[in-house]
Amino acid sequence: MRESTIMKIHYGTALAAVALVAVHILMRLTQGFAESLEYENVLANYKFIPYAAMLELILILLSIHGFNGLRVILLELKQGRVYEKAVSYGCLAAMIGLIAYGSRTIIMTNMGMI
Amino acid sequence: MPRDEHREGIKGMANPTRYGIERVAYWLMRLSGLGLLAYFVAHIYETSNILRGQVGWDEFLELTQTTEGHLFLAIVIAMCVFHTVNGIRVMLGHGGVGVGKPARPDYPYEPASQNYRHKIGIYSAILLAAIAMMYGLAVMFGE
Repeated sequence: MRESTIMKIHYGTALAAVALVAVHILMRLTQGFAESLEYENVLANYKFIPYAAMLELILILLSIHGFNGLRVILLELKQGRVYEKAVSYGCLAAMIGLIAYGSRTIIMTNMGMI
Repeated sequence: MPRDEHREGIKGMANPTRYGIERVAYWLMRLSGLGLLAYFVAHIYETSNILRGQVGWDEFLELTQTTEGHLFLAIVIAMCVFHTVNGIRVMLGHGGVGVGKPARPDYPYEPASQNYRHKIGIYSAILLAAIAMMYGLAVMFGE
């Protein structure tokens, strides 16, 4: 993929994530901060499908943005054909792994598989 | 081959007194980005404890809902706000907003893009991060 396209994705995921993370944080402030983290409240959040879908979206957006950011930093430090491929595929693998692990939590909690 | 005495490596590159606030913003952007990625991975692991049921969740909350945990979260809030505001400034700059009109480079060759608009953007990002951190501390310790 062209670097210019990757940077557009990087900026797009950033803007979308800012809006959704703002909603995610505001949800903590609708009740008291400690109260909002109580087990029953968190469970209710996960079981509310629109909120669970938003968490999944945040997970995907931030994973793409975060690991692409890491890739850019690592490519700034050192260059080389093998190194660049290793960094790009390594970041992609880590991104997929994190999305899979986070999705597992969201799906299992939403479906009551605790 | 003799070592170039002027080559300071990363130390020279990171020296904020030499290259101005733009270089400070560059470093803060990368450090906050790495910090936020580390926090994000830890947060995904932290929230997965809900799968261990109420006991597992409460055990993990006991670890994170402490004075040290709140101070750490306040730093995360500051990193998040700085990264967001400075990121928007960088995006606008890449889009050509606030970088000035193209002109012939004349002595003393000051880059048109490093102007007062972007400097204000950087200082605003730092100020907003500090305010958000104070607000976060007030919310977390105010209960």
